[in-house]
Amino acid sequence: MKFARTFKQHLLEDGFPEHWVESAISYRKLKKCIKKVEEELSEIGLDADTLSLLLKTAEKNQGAGSDTEDQEEKPFQYVLSPKGSRGQNEEKSYPTKFQPKLLFMIDEATGEPLHAKLSPETKQYLHQLALSENITDIRITDEQDDPKANPTDRKNSLASTNSRSYRTVEVPLISDSQFFGTLQSELSGLATIQKEEEKKLSSEVEDLSNVVSKMTKPKDSKSKHDLQQWRRIFELYLDSRIFFSTSERDPWANNYERAAKGLGNFAAELQKQGLYDDFKSKEGALALHKFLNINSELLQGLKFQEINNMATMKILKKFDKRTALGATSNAALIFQQTPIPASLARAVCAEISNHLLATVPQLDDYLCPVCFSIAWRPVRLQCQHVFCIRCLIVMQRDKQDHCPLCRKKVVMEADSDNLDDSMSRFLKKYFPEEVKKKQKENERAAGRDTYGELYDEKCRVM
Amino acid sequence: MALPKRIIKETERLMAEPVPGITAVPHEENLRYFDVTVDGPSQSPYEGGTFKLELFLPDDYPMTPPKVRFLTKIYHPNIDRLGRICLDVLKSNWSPALQIRTILLSIQALLGAPNPDDPLANDVAQRWKEDQNAAIQTAREWTAQYAKV
Repeated sequence: MKFARTFKQHLLEDGFPEHWVESAISYRKLKKCIKKVEEELSEIGLDADTLSLLLKTAEKNQGAGSDTEDQEEKPFQYVLSPKGSRGQNEEKSYPTKFQPKLLFMIDEATGEPLHAKLSPETKQYLHQLALSENITDIRITDEQDDPKANPTDRKNSLASTNSRSYRTVEVPLISDSQFFGTLQSELSGLATIQKEEEKKLSSEVEDLSNVVSKMTKPKDSKSKHDLQQWRRIFELYLDSRIFFSTSERDPWANNYERAAKGLGNFAAELQKQGLYDDFKSKEGALALHKFLNINSELLQGLKFQEINNMATMKILKKFDKRTALGATSNAALIFQQTPIPASLARAVCAEISNHLLATVPQLDDYLCPVCFSIAWRPVRLQCQHVFCIRCLIVMQRDKQDHCPLCRKKVVMEADSDNLDDSMSRFLKKYFPEEVKKKQKENERAAGRDTYGELYDEKCRVM
Repeated sequence: MALPKRIIKETERLMAEPVPGITAVPHEENLRYFDVTVDGPSQSPYEGGTFKLELFLPDDYPMTPPKVRFLTKIYHPNIDRLGRICLDVLKSNWSPALQIRTILLSIQALLGAPNPDDPLANDVAQRWKEDQNAAIQTAREWTAQYAKV
């Protein structure tokens, strides 16, 4: 009761686009559907209490008996199987429709249900079913009163020669089919929306990437300034870990609440550092605005997805409670079949980091793995691992021949041919300040090597 | 001498993104000296214990490995009475690309996989080989006795 209301409220008040709201899970309708299923089942004497009691006895029997799997001990089976057999050339694009089935074991000869605990109504009903399906033509008689005759015989029932053979009858479930039909088409509708949204956001990210990359290509002081700005913005963005946290403690996707907080922090930090409008090129502020928009739209998508997932889960739980048929355990099957993309955020974030963030090289990707400073001047060993020249010199002096990353014996053989000139040019272009600083450090360290520790203090007036 | 950038960065990251089950806090007066705790890995005889260690970064770190020693008494074939650790990456297999966090993870892994064929504590290793169950039982008892906070 309560959830139906909050769900509706979220849909109406959270500013989702209209066509999203229309495609949301129709919680109320599904609830009514459950009611019908309930009625249908209790008409044949199978209300929730009876069904769960049957299930429990079945489980007990299983636990008490031998450890071999004994399907026949289950009084009934509830399966969600693909509707009809699919032809070879039927395309995958049509998600399989699920047909819920309630199957009861009956004696092939007599048409009598195999379980003694069934109520007379149910027995009668099942027998009628069996009759109408021409499985048997023998009426139930009172003499046939040993349905749970010999439990040991039951195990090899179907294939056996010495015991009675069994057949299953299917109880038609009209409202139930309706329930799953509705749920499934809604889920695939949601998947479509998500795909559209993904496509839209991805193309926005791509456009923005082009703009930013043009703006930050280092050619004059203007673009160099903007390059620095964007680098700081993206650094902050990565540090905020809005949609995914990469820490070892919990490397999972963030939920809406955490993502919203992360985005809020990011925006606040931009404000604090005065990054909003400190661009030399005119498009700067507009591009940043667009970037933030993409992120908040992504956030909305995440929220929409979350409340719909919640609604699906809740409705399935309700279904179970009312009918004791155990749909939740089958739900995994449904989700697998209906292509609900795991997460919109994942797809778009990948797009953001592959396209947009890649336009502005981040220093973290060009550090020497030994000194953690920019790998200037870069030396590429034969194993392709790159270190700064300073650390390489120290390693060679220590006669450490193994590459620190892969342990290949390639350090001693390195010489000036291993200097990576194209990477040098790249670093100089994109990280002019870091390179300058590191160059000075290298020179000072080399001086210390030559003249001793006092080299640093050479300017002291004596 | 000023602290190298590398050590500053490592410390920052250890603080910002600690490794689960491991803490490493530098001393205020000597930023090269760390107080370390490592939780015993689950499903090992050290499970449930928290072990104290000390870690020191020598002057030429990362060209030479950090010096690490157990402070908590521990019954382990590769750790001796003084807490010294027999672990290849702390000696011959050290690489300057390894870090404090990776070394501590290796030590934690060593607790989960004792190697009595390359012993440091001979008596423990001997017992580990002769009667593994009894040795594991002793390790468990020592953990309960010394490594419970």
